[in-house]
Amino acid sequence: MDEIIRVENLSKTFRTPFRRKRVDAVSNVSFVVRRGEIFGFLGPNGAGKTTTIKMLTGLIQPTAGTVSMLGGGPADLSVRARIGFLPEQPYFYDYLTPVELLDVFGRIFGIPARIRKERIESLLTQVGLFEARNRTLRKFSKGMLQRTGIAQALLNDPELVILDEPLSGLDPVGRKEVNDLIATLRQQGKTIFFSSHILADIERLCDRVVILDRGVTKAAGTLSELLTSDSGEREILAGGITDVSGLNGLDGVVRCETYGTDAVRIVCESAASDRLVGTLLRAGGTILGVNDRRISLEQLFVSRTIREKSCPATDNEGEVRGVSE
Amino acid sequence: MKNGFADSIRRTFAIARNTVLEAIRNRAFLGMGIAAFGLVVSSIALSSLAVRDQAERVLVDFGLAATSLMEIVIAITMGVILVFKEIDRKTFYLVLPKPIRRSEVIAGKFVGLLGVLGASLLLMAAGWLISLQVKGISIPAGVPQALLLVWAQAALITSVAIFFSSFASPVLSGVFTFGVFMVGSSVTVLQELMQARKGMLATPGPARLIAEGAVAVFPDLSVFNVGKELILRIPVTWEYVGASMLYCGFYCLFFLAIGALVFQRRDFS
Repeated sequence: MDEIIRVENLSKTFRTPFRRKRVDAVSNVSFVVRRGEIFGFLGPNGAGKTTTIKMLTGLIQPTAGTVSMLGGGPADLSVRARIGFLPEQPYFYDYLTPVELLDVFGRIFGIPARIRKERIESLLTQVGLFEARNRTLRKFSKGMLQRTGIAQALLNDPELVILDEPLSGLDPVGRKEVNDLIATLRQQGKTIFFSSHILADIERLCDRVVILDRGVTKAAGTLSELLTSDSGEREILAGGITDVSGLNGLDGVVRCETYGTDAVRIVCESAASDRLVGTLLRAGGTILGVNDRRISLEQLFVSRTIREKSCPATDNEGEVRGVSE
Repeated sequence: MKNGFADSIRRTFAIARNTVLEAIRNRAFLGMGIAAFGLVVSSIALSSLAVRDQAERVLVDFGLAATSLMEIVIAITMGVILVFKEIDRKTFYLVLPKPIRRSEVIAGKFVGLLGVLGASLLLMAAGWLISLQVKGISIPAGVPQALLLVWAQAALITSVAIFFSSFASPVLSGVFTFGVFMVGSSVTVLQELMQARKGMLATPGPARLIAEGAVAVFPDLSVFNVGKELILRIPVTWEYVGASMLYCGFYCLFFLAIGALVFQRRDFS
């Protein structure tokens, strides 16, 4: 699968206006986004997600590191022509109607007039704004503006869609519609780079994620890798054993419970699983299954961000899991 | 995607078109246009206060001066506000990631404002010419040339305003641009004072050095003022207008190029 985005050691340092104090918004962030996947970019507020996205879209220049997208850099016009971008809380020319706004952007993209007209109508229908197409944007609700933002991000039929918090400001119905739209875009073969802190949506939609906190990568990989590896626990399902009282005292067992009428489920530390399997077999049991125990994305997110807030900033580097390939 | 000159022009005009739309739908600008029209038409009332044989002079001089002044006011206010507003309201976040160069955005804003200045100039010129007709004064032959020069002067000031607004706040940009206008309007006076060798500018020193620097760097805006020629019915040749337009074009390119360079390096954080 070919790479759509490659970010290597990306850093951005700002200076405060008067005291010229250094603020490291993003430090040595690296990741790769592959063609056709939905890539989640996770992190609490102030994690550096939007700063990273602004570097991807050329709105700000990195202090260090490189960004390569669709075979070029963020400044290449031919690359930008193949990208759709929805900024966080997009601001619009509120004196325009959505049709006029999309027309301005369509002209910038160089979409011929007839195709432009058709595509604008189709997109406004797709995001549910066709009825409001002749109303000025200053009369739009927050949710309607978000949909307008999504429409403009798809105007050029992009290969790569970068969405910064696309679900913010949407009601549950709107969120579902946008989620469905993102799923449809994936079916169309588009690559989606999607930042959010709504974990349920990330977990449902994304193939791979990067978790960012205070500008530093805290975790990167496929969801299944991260959610299983991070628990450090395994689950053993054993038949022929019904008495759990003896098992609870064994070294490495986290907890134990009956499962059905003649089986037990043992949650144990991963390192102790082989030894426990041997013990169970010697006790006359049969092993029905051994699986890495999954944690939820929320648990992973909390363990990687909130827990570490109490740690000194200098400890951050030790937590970086490296580039996700 | 082709990145040729035609594409660049297309993108520039997309921004220009939007700039004109913004001005048309901006109530403040509409108010400014109506005020300008009213000011020019009010020259009728002013001319009735003048000595009988001076009415024509007042109408021609005041009408052109009022038109020129209002064009400068529009150029400065729109020039300093439009770029800043896009930065402040973050509408650039949607535009700049698209396949458009930042220099094309600056050029598009400028071209759009030229259109706005042209439209307001036509409105004021209509008011001015109507007042001349009402008072039974024949329209001087050099009016089209004079109006074109007023427009060129406003274009030059717009490029200065856009240059400053690429890095400064609207208030500072407005003050700096007005400063350039004032110094530019005084270049001829400074030259005359230096040649006359009188007062502070007579001997070498800091004052003369500053004056020489100002004369060398600042555009001489008096080249765009042909009010005297109009009153005295002295013809303003198209050759003169062409040369003045070239002069204006050079300064516009200079200010817009530096503005685009500053804008290119700017972070939108």
